[in-house]
Amino acid sequence: MEIKLTGGEVYDPVHQVNGDKKDLYIVDGKLQKNLTDNKRLDNTFDLSDCIVMAGAIDLHTHIGGGKVNIARTMMLEDAHSHPHPGSDILRSGNGRAVPSTYSSGYRYAEMGYTACFEPAVLPVNARQAHMELADTPMIDKGGYALLGNDDFLLNMIREGTTQNVINDYVAWLLDATQCIGIKVVNAGGIHAFKYNQRRLDIDETGPTGSKPREIIATLSKAVHELGIAHPLHVHASNLGVPGNFASTLATMAAADGLPIHLTHIQFHSYGTEGDYKFSSAACQIAEAINKNKNVSADVGQVMFGQTITTSGDTMMQYFGHDHASPKKWTIMDIECEAGCGVIPFKYRDKSFVNALQWAIGLEIFLQVNDPWRVFLTTDHPNGAPFTSYPHLIKLLMDRSFRNDVFNIIHKDAQKASNLPSMDREYSLYEIAIMTRAAPAKILGLSNHGHLGEGASANITAYRKQNDIEQMFAKPAYVFKNGTLIVKDGEIVETVQGVTHVTKPEYDHSIEKSLKKYFDDYQTISFNNFKISNDEMIECIGNQIETHPSGNNH
Amino acid sequence: MQFENVTCPHCGLLCDDLSVKVTGLTVQLTDSTHPCTKAFTDASIQTNSLPTPLILGKPVSQEQALDKAITLLRASKLPLVSGLIADVQACREAVALTEKLSGVIDHANGSIIRKGTAVMQRIGEVRTTLSEVRNRADCILIFGSGLLARFPRLKDRILTPEKTLGSENTNHKKIFILDVSRDGTTRCKTENNTSHIYLNYPLLESLVYRFQEVVTRPKEYFVEHNSESDPDHDHDKDTKQLFSILDTILKSQYTTIVWSVGDFNQESAEHTVQALTESVKILMKKVRCVALPLGGSKGEITANQVATWQTGVPLPVSFTQETPIHNPVLYDGMTMLQNQEADCLLWVATYNSDDVPPKHDIPTIVLGHPNMKCKLADVYLPVGVPGIDHRGLACRTDNVATLPLHKIRDSTLPAASDLLNKLIDLL
Repeated sequence: MEIKLTGGEVYDPVHQVNGDKKDLYIVDGKLQKNLTDNKRLDNTFDLSDCIVMAGAIDLHTHIGGGKVNIARTMMLEDAHSHPHPGSDILRSGNGRAVPSTYSSGYRYAEMGYTACFEPAVLPVNARQAHMELADTPMIDKGGYALLGNDDFLLNMIREGTTQNVINDYVAWLLDATQCIGIKVVNAGGIHAFKYNQRRLDIDETGPTGSKPREIIATLSKAVHELGIAHPLHVHASNLGVPGNFASTLATMAAADGLPIHLTHIQFHSYGTEGDYKFSSAACQIAEAINKNKNVSADVGQVMFGQTITTSGDTMMQYFGHDHASPKKWTIMDIECEAGCGVIPFKYRDKSFVNALQWAIGLEIFLQVNDPWRVFLTTDHPNGAPFTSYPHLIKLLMDRSFRNDVFNIIHKDAQKASNLPSMDREYSLYEIAIMTRAAPAKILGLSNHGHLGEGASANITAYRKQNDIEQMFAKPAYVFKNGTLIVKDGEIVETVQGVTHVTKPEYDHSIEKSLKKYFDDYQTISFNNFKISNDEMIECIGNQIETHPSGNNH
Repeated sequence: MQFENVTCPHCGLLCDDLSVKVTGLTVQLTDSTHPCTKAFTDASIQTNSLPTPLILGKPVSQEQALDKAITLLRASKLPLVSGLIADVQACREAVALTEKLSGVIDHANGSIIRKGTAVMQRIGEVRTTLSEVRNRADCILIFGSGLLARFPRLKDRILTPEKTLGSENTNHKKIFILDVSRDGTTRCKTENNTSHIYLNYPLLESLVYRFQEVVTRPKEYFVEHNSESDPDHDHDKDTKQLFSILDTILKSQYTTIVWSVGDFNQESAEHTVQALTESVKILMKKVRCVALPLGGSKGEITANQVATWQTGVPLPVSFTQETPIHNPVLYDGMTMLQNQEADCLLWVATYNSDDVPPKHDIPTIVLGHPNMKCKLADVYLPVGVPGIDHRGLACRTDNVATLPLHKIRDSTLPAASDLLNKLIDLL
C-alpha cells in the first residue's frame, strides 16, 4: 500500500526539519523517500493547511495494571460522569481520570498519540498490566518494571553482591516481565513502610540496612552497564513534601553522572519558604537539569479539577491520605516487591498549594533550556488526566493565555511564583521534540518519533488554527503504521499496536538463586513467574517488538 | 504424562506447585496424600468419547448448537450473561458478547463480591497479598473458623510456611482464629502459636462489631458501659479477650486480618466488611495492619478484573444503554433471574461440573464443563477446562498475581473463549 501526503508544514527535529513544506511517502507502513515505481498509489492526502509531526509518544502514563483497576473500581463517579458510547467499530467505555482500556486507546489516538508507556509494572502484576495494555487498542505500548523495594534486590545490596550479578537480576527481570525499562519508586521507602517506617530520606538507612542513594546508584549502574536505552526511571523520595527539592537534587547526584530520568519532577520541586512553609524550588531544579546533562525529567503537570492519584509509593500516599477528595483511600502492600496507593484528589485553583503546584510545573517547563531532556506529562492521572495535554501545550506556547490563567489562581500563590516574568513560548519545533523525538530517543525506539526514511509511518497532521488547544485536541489525520486511523479527531479505523520490549543478555546462572528464592519464600513458582514470548502473544494478546540493548547489538 | 508447576484454579489461592499425571482423558494429582482435596477431582473425563453439544438433551453438531444459541440470543430482549466461572480469555469475550447483545453481565457470585466492592467505593481499603503475609506477618487474625477448610492450603503455604524472609517472630507468628461459640461459653485453645478462640456472641458479625469497638474506643468506655449489675459476666470476658488481642496487635510489626465475605451473613455482610476495613485503617495510625480478604474460588476475581478494565466499572455491568452502567441494585444477575427480568441466560462455567445454571423458566445456553449434567438446557456446548485442555490466565484472590494456566491434556474440546468469539461473529 502506498500513500502520499502532500504540502504539509513538517516538524521533524530528528532531521532538523522546522516547518518546511514537504511531501511524505508511505510504503507498506513505513516512511520512504519516494514511492516505488512498480506499485499503485492508493491514496493522496492534501496537507497544505496542516502541521505535520510524527505520532506523539507519552513516556509516563498510568493506563494499565492493578492499581489502575483499583482506581476504576473506587471512582464510579469518574466512570459514570464520563461515558463513552461505542459504535460499529468502537467498544463502549467509561472514565476520564481512569478510563476503561478501550477508551484510553481511543482518546490517545484521537489526540494524535501513537505510543504510550505504563511506568509502574509490578513484576508479579506484569501479566495483568500487559493484559490491560493488550485491551488498549490504537497505540503501541510498553512498561517499566518496578525495582528498588523488592526484598531480593535489597538483600543482594545488603550482602554486598557484585554489580555483575545485580545486572543479571535486572536483565532477567526485564525479560521475565516483558518490559522496556526499569523504574524505582521511593527507593527503599515502600519496603520501609512495611516495617511501619513512615518516612525515608535519601541518606537514611532502611530496615535492610541500605540507603535510597545506594539503591539508585546500584540500579542506574545496572541499567547503564546493560545498555538499556531508557535511563533508570526514578520517582524520588519525599513525594509532595515541602522542602523535598533537596532530596531531588541528591537523587540526581546519586546517579554519579550516569543517565537518570526523574519522573513527575514537579511533585519533587518544593521548598519551605514563605508564610505557608511551601514554596517553589523550580528554579533550583531546572538549574540542576540544565547543568547536569545526564539528567532528564518529565514534569507531571498539575491541572485543576478532579482526578485520582495512583502510585506505587505507599509511604507517601499514606502520608497524603487525609487530603483525599472524595474521602476514601486505598493502600496495598504487594508480594515483597512493591505496593500501591490510590487516592482521589481534586486540584483547586483557589487552594494556595494546588495553585502553586500548577505554577511550579510550568516554571520547570519554561526554565529547562533543553527540550530534549524535559517531557510533557501530567503523570496521568496523578497531576491530571492525559486528555488535558492540548490545554497544557497551549499554556506552554501562549504566554498571554498562560498569564490569563495565572491571574485567576490563589492570590498568595501568584505572589509566590515568578511565572509571569517568564517570556518563553514553546515553538512547534520544541513541542515536536518534547512529545515525539525526545521520548523516542530516550526509549531507544529508533523507528519512532521521526519522519525519516524507514520510520514507522506514525504521523499526525493538525489543521492549522489560531487556538492551539483546539488544534492539538483534534488532529485532521492520524496514521498508525500507514493506516489512517483518525480523521478530524474521530476514529475511522481501529488497529492494535505492539508492545515494545528490550532483552539485554545475562548470565542465566542467576536463575539458580532466583529459583531458590521463589521456592523458599514466594507464592508463585519460579517457572510460572516469567512471561514467555508466546504467552504474550497467545494468551495475553500482545505482539512484541524487541529493541536492542547495548549488550546484544 | 507428568506435569509440574500446574496451577489449580479450584480456590482463590491458585496454588501453582502441583504435580499432575495425565493418562488419556484422566487427570489426577501425582501425590495421593496431597492436602488439597479440591484440586482436579472433577477433571477426568470418564467416558471413552468426548461429550457432544446438546439441544434439549439431544446430541447435535457444534454448528447446530451455535445456530440455536444465536437464535435464542437474537430473540431475547434482555439477555443475561453469567456464571463466568472461567479464565481471562473467556471473560474478555463474554464482556464483548454482552456489549453486542445490549445485555447484562454478572458473575454467579456477583452479589457476594459486591460487598467488598461497595466498601472500596465508599472508604477504600488497606490490604496485602499472599507472599507479603507469608513473609512479613507476625500476627494474624482470622475471622471465621471455617475459612481454613475453604482455602485448604492457606495454612501450609501462607500461615505457617517452613521459611520466611522475616525474623523469628515471623517464623513463629501468632495466629488467632476467632469465631462464636454458639453454646454460651467462651473458649480458647492455644497450640503452637495458634489460638482458636470462641467467644460468646450470637453471630460472627457481632464479634466483628465488638472488635471494631475495642479497636476504636478507649478501655474506659467499656468500664463505663459495663455496669456492675450486668449479670452477663461472659460479656466482659469476651471483651477482655479482644483487648488482649489488641495488645498483641499493637506490639506486632505486621498484623494481617483475614476474612472471607462468604462466611458472613449476606444481609449485613457489607456492613461487616466495612467494620473490618475501618478497624484496619484505625490501627494503621499506630502500627502496620493490613487486610487479606479471601475469595475468588469460582473465578470471581478474574471476571471482575476483566470487566473493570474493559468497561471502566466492576460487575455487574449493563449494556442496556449506550455506555456500560454499574448498578448492583438494578442489574444483580441472580435477582434479574428471580424476577424474570432477564429473558435468556448464557451461562459460562468451565472449572467444575457441578456449577450448573440456576433453574429458571427462560431459555438457557450453557458453555459448560465437559462433565456437566445439563440436560435441561436449551443448548449445552461442552468446553475445555482452562489449565487442562487449553492455556489460560486466572487472577488470584489478592487481586495482584495473575497465574498462567497450562494445557496438559489433548482433548480437542474447544475453549469457551473460542465459542464466545464464534457467537460474536455470528451476531
